[in-house]
Amino acid sequence: MAVKKARRPNGGNGGLNINSMMDMMTIILVFLLKSYSTTDVSVAASDELELPFSSAQKVPEIAVNLVVEQGKILVDGVPAVNLTKVDDAATGQKVTAVPEDELRGQTITRLYDVLLAKAEEAKRIGEASGKEDLKFKGRILIQVDKDMPFSVVRTVMYTAGQAQFGEFKFVVYKME
Amino acid sequence: MSKRKAEGAVPDLDLTPIMNLVTILIPFLIMAAQFVHLAVIDSTLPAIGPPSTEPPPPDEKPPLQLSLGLSGKGISILGADMVLYPDGNKPAAVEGEEKPPTLPCKSGTCTTVDDYDWAELAAKLNLIKDQYPDDQNVILVPDGNIRYEILVKAMDVTREDPNNKTETGARELFPFVVIAGGAI
Repeated sequence: MAVKKARRPNGGNGGLNINSMMDMMTIILVFLLKSYSTTDVSVAASDELELPFSSAQKVPEIAVNLVVEQGKILVDGVPAVNLTKVDDAATGQKVTAVPEDELRGQTITRLYDVLLAKAEEAKRIGEASGKEDLKFKGRILIQVDKDMPFSVVRTVMYTAGQAQFGEFKFVVYKME
Repeated sequence: MSKRKAEGAVPDLDLTPIMNLVTILIPFLIMAAQFVHLAVIDSTLPAIGPPSTEPPPPDEKPPLQLSLGLSGKGISILGADMVLYPDGNKPAAVEGEEKPPTLPCKSGTCTTVDDYDWAELAAKLNLIKDQYPDDQNVILVPDGNIRYEILVKAMDVTREDPNNKTETGARELFPFVVIAGGAI
C-alpha cells in the first residue's frame, strides 16, 4: 500500500516560521520598555554593599557619591579608606570599624582630604558656570551597607561635615 | 478557476525588518533597564545655635524637642513626656540600673529590625503629632553598635504612618530627621 507523503505548505522549500519568535520578542520589548528608566545614581551591587529598603520616595539627584562598603570607603568609585574588623565588646562578634591610624579625633583623615578636594572642585565648577543650580550646596549621596554599625556611619558623616558637606542624602532601595 | 485563487491570496508579511529592529532595541533596553529603584532620605548635621536667653511666655505650650534614642534594648522617646505622661507618672529607673527604654525590645534584646516595636512607636508619634501638628523635626540618637538598617527603618517610621491614611495619602509625622552623634 502506497503511503501518501504530506506536502509542505510552502511548496516544500522548508522556510523558517518566525511568527512565534516575533511574539516572544514583542513581549520582551514591552517588559524592557516598562523597566526603562534613567537616573543620575547607580549602585554597584556586591557582597560588601547591600542597601536597605525604605519607604522613601524622593528621587536621587547627582552629587558626590560616597559609598561605605563592609571593606572600604569609596568616593565617586575610587577607594579612599580601607575598613577593618574588630571584636564587638557587647556581642563578641566581628564588626566593621575605621582603623585607629586613619582617625584624628572623629575625622577620617584620608577621607577628609579626598572630600575637601571634591568640595573645592565642585565650588570652582559652580562659580565658573555662573548658574545657580550648579553652585556647591554641600550635597552628598551616601550609600551604606545595611549591616554597617552606626559608629562607622557617624564617623563618615562627621568627616563629610568637616569637609563642607552638610546635606546628606542616604541612598536606599525603594519599596515597591 | 485556479487563476482567480492565485490573484485573491494575500502574500505572507515579511517580518525580517521588524525582527532586525527589535533585535537592536533589546540590547539597548537591557542596558538602560532598572530592575531596582533607588530613593534618597534627606538628613542634615545638627545645627548649633546660640541658646535662647528669653524665657517663653508662661501661657505658651512648651516647645517639642523630640528625640528618639535607639539602643540594643529598645527605643527611648525623649522630649515629649508632657504628651506621653500627661499625669507626670513617668516610670522611674530602678536604683543601680539603667533607665528602661520607652519601647523595650520584644525579646529583651534587639538584634534585627523586627525585634523593635515599630507599631507602638508609630502610635506614640501619632499621639505627639496630634498635640504638635506644626512640628516636623525629630532627632535620632542611635547607639554606636546599631545597624544602619535599623536607623533607616526608624527614619521611615518617623517620616510618615502608612496605616493612618489622610486625604493626601499616608499621614506625615516628623519628616525632617537630624542624626545626632549618640553614645560612643
